[in-house]
Parts: sequence; structure tokens; C-alpha cells
Amino acid sequence: MSPLFLLIPMALPLAGGAWVLFFHPKSDLVRAVGCEAVALVTTAFVWLSFFIVKDEPVEIYSFTRGFSIDLRLDGLSRLFAGMVSLMWPLALLYTFEYMEEEPRKNLYFAFYMMTYGITLGVAFASNLTTLYVFFEMLTLVTIPLVTFYGDHESMYAGRVYSAYTIGGAALAFFAVVMGTLNGFGGNFIRGGSLSAPGSGPWSEQMVMLAFLFGFFGFGVKAAVFPFCRWLPVASVAPTPVTALLHAVAVVNTGVFAIIRLTWYVYGTERLAGTPVQALCLAFAAFTLLYAAVKALKERHFKRRLAYSTVSNLSYMLFGIMLLTPKGFEGGVAHMVFHGVMKMLLFLCAGAFMHKTGKAYLYEINGVGKRMPVTFVCYTIGSLALMGVPLFCGFVSKWTLAEGALSEGSPAAIAGLICLIASAFLCAVYTLTVSIRAFFPMQGTDRFLREQSFEPGWRILLPMLVFAAATIFFGVHPEPLLSLIRDAM
Amino acid sequence: MLIMLLVFFPMLGAAAAWFTGRREDRAELRDILVIDTAVIEFVLSFALLRGRHVFSIPDILGSGLYFAADGFRAGYGVITAFLWAGAAIFGKEYFAHEPEGLNRYWFFFLVTLGATQGVMLSADLMTAFVFFEILSFTSFTWVIHEQTREAIRAAYTYLFIAVIGGLVLFLGLLLIRHSAGTLTFSKLREAAAGAKEQGWLRAGFLCVLFGFGCKAGMVPVHVWLPKAHPAAPSPASALLSGILTKVGVYGILMTASTAMYADAGCGVCVLVLGAATMLHGAVLALFSVNLKRTLACSSMSQIGFILTGIGMLMVNRAAGSAEGEALAAAGIVLHMMNHSLIKLTLFLAAGVVVMNLHSLDLNEIRGWGRKKGTLKAAFALGALGISGVPLFNGYLSKTMLHESIVSGIEACRELGGMMDRSFALTEGAEAVSGNLSPAPGWLPSLAGWLSGLEGLFLFAGGCTFAYMLKLFLCIFVEKNADPDRQTRYDRNPACMNRVSTAVIFGSSLLMPLLGQPSVSLGIARALTGFTGDYAEQLSEFAAFSPENLKGGAISLAIGALLYGLFIKRVLYGRTAGYRNLWPAWLDLEEGVYRPLLTRVLPFLFGSLMSLFGENRLTAPLSKGILFAGTVIGRALDCSLDFLAMLLRKTVFREVKVRGRKERTPDLLGVLREETRQAAVPILQNFSFALMMTCIGILLILGVLIFYVVQGVR
Repeated sequence: MSPLFLLIPMALPLAGGAWVLFFHPKSDLVRAVGCEAVALVTTAFVWLSFFIVKDEPVEIYSFTRGFSIDLRLDGLSRLFAGMVSLMWPLALLYTFEYMEEEPRKNLYFAFYMMTYGITLGVAFASNLTTLYVFFEMLTLVTIPLVTFYGDHESMYAGRVYSAYTIGGAALAFFAVVMGTLNGFGGNFIRGGSLSAPGSGPWSEQMVMLAFLFGFFGFGVKAAVFPFCRWLPVASVAPTPVTALLHAVAVVNTGVFAIIRLTWYVYGTERLAGTPVQALCLAFAAFTLLYAAVKALKERHFKRRLAYSTVSNLSYMLFGIMLLTPKGFEGGVAHMVFHGVMKMLLFLCAGAFMHKTGKAYLYEINGVGKRMPVTFVCYTIGSLALMGVPLFCGFVSKWTLAEGALSEGSPAAIAGLICLIASAFLCAVYTLTVSIRAFFPMQGTDRFLREQSFEPGWRILLPMLVFAAATIFFGVHPEPLLSLIRDAM
Repeated sequence: MLIMLLVFFPMLGAAAAWFTGRREDRAELRDILVIDTAVIEFVLSFALLRGRHVFSIPDILGSGLYFAADGFRAGYGVITAFLWAGAAIFGKEYFAHEPEGLNRYWFFFLVTLGATQGVMLSADLMTAFVFFEILSFTSFTWVIHEQTREAIRAAYTYLFIAVIGGLVLFLGLLLIRHSAGTLTFSKLREAAAGAKEQGWLRAGFLCVLFGFGCKAGMVPVHVWLPKAHPAAPSPASALLSGILTKVGVYGILMTASTAMYADAGCGVCVLVLGAATMLHGAVLALFSVNLKRTLACSSMSQIGFILTGIGMLMVNRAAGSAEGEALAAAGIVLHMMNHSLIKLTLFLAAGVVVMNLHSLDLNEIRGWGRKKGTLKAAFALGALGISGVPLFNGYLSKTMLHESIVSGIEACRELGGMMDRSFALTEGAEAVSGNLSPAPGWLPSLAGWLSGLEGLFLFAGGCTFAYMLKLFLCIFVEKNADPDRQTRYDRNPACMNRVSTAVIFGSSLLMPLLGQPSVSLGIARALTGFTGDYAEQLSEFAAFSPENLKGGAISLAIGALLYGLFIKRVLYGRTAGYRNLWPAWLDLEEGVYRPLLTRVLPFLFGSLMSLFGENRLTAPLSKGILFAGTVIGRALDCSLDFLAMLLRKTVFREVKVRGRKERTPDLLGVLREETRQAAVPILQNFSFALMMTCIGILLILGVLIFYVVQGVR
């Protein structure tokens, strides 16, 4: 079937969001069932499209010659859309319980649903212009979610968030224009779509400069070093937003855009071995260590996880910028696996904060006995994040490290060392939480003996599903890895 | 199939025990379940000894899990299961009075058993690594079990050293895989010999050495060992010391005997670290006044003996001495086995002390065992075994290790002679060693160093005798300084129930049994298959030849002298009792590692990071850039307003209403206000200011691009 079919899953959540926004469902149950139904149907359509939609581009609308909105479903789109579409209904389920007592739920759910459609748009984009349009829309549609609580801190976070991401998109604009004018409409073609060096209107230096602008511009969403501060600040948003958007959907969009730019527009041959590659690798390697140190210093549960996200996003960028098949495999695998693990960790952190009303790590002593399922899940997530075998983080880290070693340039080797060091820091900053929760020092237990804080099934179910996925992908990663290799 | 059963059956047992024990009234049933699981595992493990077992799960974990049980691996599977069964049976009585957290303990106890079997029966390094990581985390719960301040501190040390070890091991595996292309033990020898990047391979081996060394308690990452053992419950200490350290040794041994086949450089590296571990542990044990800490340091020292053996295995091979190689291989496996069994007895005996007195301080428990005949006998047998007294098991393994050093010295000397005679150095060495890689030119000069090592070896052996003598005499012979306490101790000779007695005494009877050369040599022949066939060389070994007895006698004499002159004269004070004169500041963890991790590195990173973040240097800079950006933006913005203002002042001039005076806003003031407002969220951030400038530049660029596009068309 024609790729026009892809418009259905993109439009459905937008319609669902509009319904909530304009018709204000009165009862919680109606809203919940409606949203969940829309999300599930969308997911079903996404997965249906994998089987029936042909791998070819289709033009939806043309601005002017060269700049047009095109959709296409290729291997990488499948991966990204597939990942996002499986997570959304689960995160939504979690949200119903988490947001039960909040006012202004309509506003929240409206934008939460719309984000789904736009994220799918990013996944299905077939050229730089389309990607850029959805990228910008994603920024705008998530701002109300960040400022949701409306207090001073949230408004501040909203301003920081919008300034960074809009500024980043402005930087990336240069690369978008260059990629579109200097090639074949910025289309995503395996091996690159830019015209050969020297044949385009622009000099090679300019082309490389444009790449840097693109890397750091899209990299703002992927929180690469100088532009990583917004992510921890934005973690004041409700936990489902931090979990799904600021650990998976939005930030991975940044990574996804960089993959598109690097592997599908510029092509690896053009970049491999240039100082540009070394520079990008160095920034990624530095970020992954820097953020791990910051996470270690942080005492706020969610902000610590947010810094950990920053660190892990740079793992992906590092893998992608290695420009070798192994690196690509590791980077994309880490994108999927990190999504699963970090969702799990944030959901657990959210459950803890929601049920006990505490947010800081020194308040966590002994809570493991009161919320055993939550903290067993948390421990699984943290073991996975640090890269213990049997859990999925190990697979991607191993692949990344293999990629770095076989690439063999000084920047890659330095990155490998940063990777090991940051894995150690990761162990310190995630496992100490589990240890405090399960093994409080005698007499420092802060909770009453018989108190139970275990959340309800709507929170537990997503958590358990993600924990199971963490282990499943760790034990049996081969199908997914081969999908990634095919996508390349 | 059998292997799968051995690895996963305890894990199932763990789950069953955990579910059973969730209700407190079923605690009894759970204990029985745990003991049954461990005992069944022990019985099952005997089946390993017959034939060769191979098992694999290829489609899992990316590269698959591969197991094999033959010779050494099968033998160690049995020993592992034996220790676990012993610790489980004794644990029931040990924990009878402290039920807190026991469900958790038993769960991880059995999971660790499965994971340990997984390492011991692994056929490739990756499988070993996977199970090694599992047991690192599960055994962590043993150390933290008591949840006291010391236990938590020790547990953190244990965990972080395990994590660092795991990561370095990860790197090592990666390097070996990268250079040799495989991680399967049986293929590694050829693959490593044919590897192009020998440098990466060596680096990989050193990483593996460090990583497994973390668990083995090798210097300089031994710091967890003297702290974790006293903190953990005694049955767990027995396993930590008896088996988990051996897991590390196993990894080093398997890698050394395959990937680093006959690499003298790495062999010397292992020798140096081994000798340092051996000596450091022995000296710490001499000074210690805590029963379990002494035993822990003793473990460290014995691991040092084994590591020395591994180093000698590699050096002997490089020097081409088949006899030394055989002795080293046999010495390694026998000493590993002996040490596991001895430490089971000794730590369980220490557990009996803790169970009754809740103290480990030698001055407090002094004289407690005077009237406890069975325990005394068991402890004595263990002490005799580990001290290397002839007719007991430790003597045989230590003698073999000693002899391997001696033949290493001879081989190096011989090699030197050959090299002098031959024209080209490398050719001669190759002819002698017959290996793929020629022996390095410096190998002959190693002979002198090895003689020094021999001396250290005998000295460390003497220390073993001295501190075991100290423990035995202190607990079982001397009288307590406080006569009241002594009468209380003597009044009650019962200290454990019959089952525990049977376990401790039964296990101690193995020492004289394994002290028979025929038994031990038979075991050695069966277990050394992993590195070569040594039946011929081993049959020539005469355990009680005058030379060998001389080595043992020297060692024991040194020990007796140390006890008489150093322990009794210096460390023992008439009023203060046993004193720990080891200077407190000479602690690698407190002195170096902890400050490094908690102060120095954070300080370095912190100052580096703050350069890019919030500080006095960048804040004015960001503010300045922001101000400039605002001025430029405002100027552009104002140009139209200015036009409008001009028009208003001239063409569309308003008529002034009388009595109302408008104040023209001060332009600079407006700019300042705008800067201030814009700066609020991002005042102290350099990157934001940079980005705002970029946005400005980009707007200009956008205009330019527009014209370029026009121009192109």
C-alpha cells in the first residue's frame, strides 16, 4: 500500500488530543478509556503499516522546489516508530494512576496524545525538511507538558527548555538548508544523498561546517555537551513526561535526526577520518563522562536519572559517529535498550515519589521493604544501565565498545575509556540507591514497619513489562540486532 | 544436561525457598529446602567426574553460553558443591538466633551456588564473565547481611571493587576477542598464537588478570578481603574465602594457560603480583588480632601462593622446563583445592566461636576452646594442613609450588648457558623452548630474581605456620587474662549441635587424608588436564624426598622463630594481651583509594566542570554577550520604530493634550531592563549566551542563504 497510509497513525493521536482539548471529557473514566483506545488503535495501525506499506517515498505537500513534506517507511523508521508505539500505551496507562489527583488533566492528556502523533511524524519523515518540521513541532507541543504544574520552578524550566530546543533547531536549520540544496532534496538514502564533493554549489569546508551546525543543533535535543543543561532542569515535569519524552521520545528524536544526517544524508565515507568526526566523537565522549559525574553529585532522584540520560544519549551519539557498521549497530541498539531501561527507572522513581511524597535520595533508606516490586524493578533497571550481562544494557555497551576498538582512532579509544569510566560511575549512582532502599543501616530506616507504599496495577503493569523487556533483550538480543543491521 | 541441572537447579531451589520462607512459620521448611538443594547438588556433582560433559545454549546473550566439564572443571564443581553443602548445614544452626533477613540470605546463597557452578564449568570466557558478574552481585548481599556500619562500609568496598573488576574484565574480554577473534578456552591457544596484534592481546590479559584479581584478592585490589570476611556471617565467609576467591583464580588460570601460553613477560607480571599478595597477606595476618580477619588475610596469602604458581607455570613454559610446568600445574590445583577445604573447616570453627561469644577479638575469646575437644581437634587439623606440615595436605601442594620455582631457576640458568653458546640468541632460545614464540633474551637473568622469590616463598610459608600457631594456642591452649571469664568458658563444654560437629570434624578429617601423596597425586593427575598431560612428570615426584622435606622444615623453622621472637615478644604484651601494631595509616583503602574516589577525583572533575558551568569567570562573560546580543537585536528591532517615531514627530505629529506630559523612555534603561529579564533563567550559563549569539548569526545567515538561492537560480 502507498505510504499515504502512514498518515492514519500520525493523525489519530492528533485527533484524540484535539478531542480532549476541545470537548473536555467530564469523567476521568471516559477520558482514560478514550485516550488509551486511541493510543492502542494508533499502535495497531503503526504495526499494521510495517506489513503493508511499501518502502518508497511519497510527497504530501511541496513548499517550493526541493523543499517538501515526504513520508517513507524504511528500516530505521520501523525501529523508531515500533519502539515508540509500544511504549506509548504503557506510559499512558501509568499516567492515569500517576495523574489521578491533578487538576487540568485535559490540558495534559491533550498534549501528551498529540506528542505521540508528531513523534511518529519524525519517524516517518523521508527528507530533512520533513524531519525539521516535525522536530520543531515536537518542541512546541511538549512545552505545555513541561510547564504543566505552573509553579515558579516549572515556568522557569519551560523557558529554559524552549530557549534551548528552539535555539538548537535554529542551529540545525543551516544543515537542513545545506543538505537540501546541495544534494537531492535532502532525501534519506543509505550511503548518503549529498552530491559528490566539489560538484555542489558549496565548498567542502562549508559543507562540513554545516554538518557541525547540524550535529550540535539536533544535538541540543540529544543533550550533547554544552547544551545539556535543559534536560535536568526539565525534569520538574510530571514523571510520565520525564520518562517517555525526556528519556525516550524527544531526546531520541535528536539522536534519530543525527543518524539521519550522518548516515543517510552525508554518508559515512564523506565524514570518516575527518576532523569533524573526531570533534563530534570527542564531544560525545566528554559528555558521557561529564554527565555521569554530574549525576553522581546530584541528590534529587529524578534529576540524577536525567543526568544519566544525558550520559547515555552520548553513548548513542558516540556509536553513530564512529561511522562503522558495528558502531551504528551499538548506537541504535542503545537507543532502543536505553529507552526500555530508562523508562523502567523513571517509572520506578515516579512511583516512589508519587506514593511517598519524597524526592531526595537520602529519604529513601529502607523503602525497599515497603515497595518491593518497585525497587526490584529499579534494581533490574540499574543493573541493566551499568551494563551487567543478562540485561540489555550489556549488549549495546559491548557492541559499542567493540565498534570503538575496531575503529581504532585515538578519539574512539579515548571514548572507549570514557565509556568504561562512566559505566563505573553509573554503577555508583544507580546502585547506591538500591542499596539504600534495601539495606538501610541499622536504625536509619525512615519508614514504619507495616507501611506499604506499593502502587496500583496501572503503575505496576508498565513497570513489570519494561523489566521483562530489559531481561528479554539482554538474554535474546539477536533478532533486534539483526533488524538494526538490516536497517543500515 | 547435567551441567544445566547443576547451574540452574540451585536457582530453582532458591526461588522455591524464597517463596516458602515468605511466611515466618514456614522458616523451618525453608531451611530444610535449602539444605536439601545444596546436598542434592553435591550428590549430583559427582556425576561430573565420569566422562566429559559439554553443554551449550547458543542462541542466548548474543554469543551464547558454553559449558564443559572435564578434569579440573569437574573436580572443582564437586568441591564447590561440597563447600556449599557444608555451609548450608552449618548455617541452619548458626542463624538460629538471628532470623532477620534470612529469607534474602538463603535466596542469594543458592543463586550464588548456581552462578559459581556456571563459572567453574564454563567453556569460554564470555560465559565465565556472565556468571562471574551474577555472583559478584549476589554475594554482595552476604557481606551486607548484618547491616551494621562496618558491614555496610565493607559491602560498599566489596561492591565497588567488584564493579571495577567487572568493567576491567569487560575491557579485557573485548581486547582478547578483538585480537584473537575468539573467547573459547579450547581454541584460544592457537588463536592467540596467530593473533596479529600481540600488544592488544597482552593488554587484554592484564585486564583479565586485574578483573579476576579483584575477586581473588590480589594486591593491589585486595582491600575488600580483610574487611568483608569479618563482616559477613561465618558460613558466608567460608564460601567467600574458600570458593569465590577461587573463582577469580580460575579465570586467571584458564586465561593464562590458554591465551598467554608461554608468555614470559606476563608470567613475570603475575609472579610479582602473586608474591606481593603472598607476603602482604601473611604479614597482615601476623599482626591481626581478630580471628576472622586473620583467616581472611591468610586466604589472601594463600591466593598469593597460587598466583605465584600460575606465574611459574608461564615462566617454566617459556623457559622450556616440562618438569617445572607439571609441578606448577599440579601445585596450583592442589593448593586451590586444599585451601578451599581448609578454609571451610577454619571459618566454620570461627563461626562456632561467633555463635557462642558474638566476638572475634582474640583477647576476648582467648582460652575459650580449652575444654572443647572436638573443635580443638578440627581446628588443629586445619591449621596443620594450611601450615604445610608433612603428612598433611598443605605440605604437598606447597612443596610442589616450591619445587616448580626451583626447576624454574634451573631452567633459566640452563637457558642462559644455551644462549651463550648459540650464535643468535633468539634462535637458540627457540630451539630450547620449542614454542611458537621465542623466549625473550632477558629470561636467563630471571634466575637470580627467582632465587629471591624462593626465599620469599619459604618466608611466607613460615608466616602461615606462625599465625596459625598463634590462633590455635590463643583460643585452645592459653588461659584468658580474666580468670572469671575463663571459669565461665570452661564450665560449658558444649558449643554446637551434633550436625554441626559432624560437618566441621568430618571436613577436617580430609586434611590428613589428602596428605597422603598417593591420594593427592592421583587427584592432581586427574585435574591438570586443562593445560597438558603431566602424568609422566608427576610420577617422578617424591613427596618425602630429603630435598622436599628440607624446604618444609626451613619454612616451619622460620615459622617457629617468628612465633617465639616476634609474636610472643613484640606483639604480645603481658597486660595488653595481643596487640595490633600494624600502623593504621598503612591502609591502602583508607589512605589511597577512598580519598582518591571521594575527594581527589571529584575535586579535579568539579573544578573542570565548573569552568564550563556556573562560576565567576563565565557569568560576566555570558552577561556581556547577552547584552551585546540584546543591543544588536534591539537596534535592528528599533530601526523601524525609529522610522515610526520620526514620522510621528514630523508628518503625523499629535496634538498635545494640555497638562499631561509624556516622558520619553530612556533607551539605555530599556536595554538594561531587557537584558536583565532575558538573563534571569540563563544568567549564569555560558552555553546559552553562545547559543543566543548563534541564533542572531543564523538569522543573518538565513537572509544570506535566501540571496544565495536566488543567485543560484
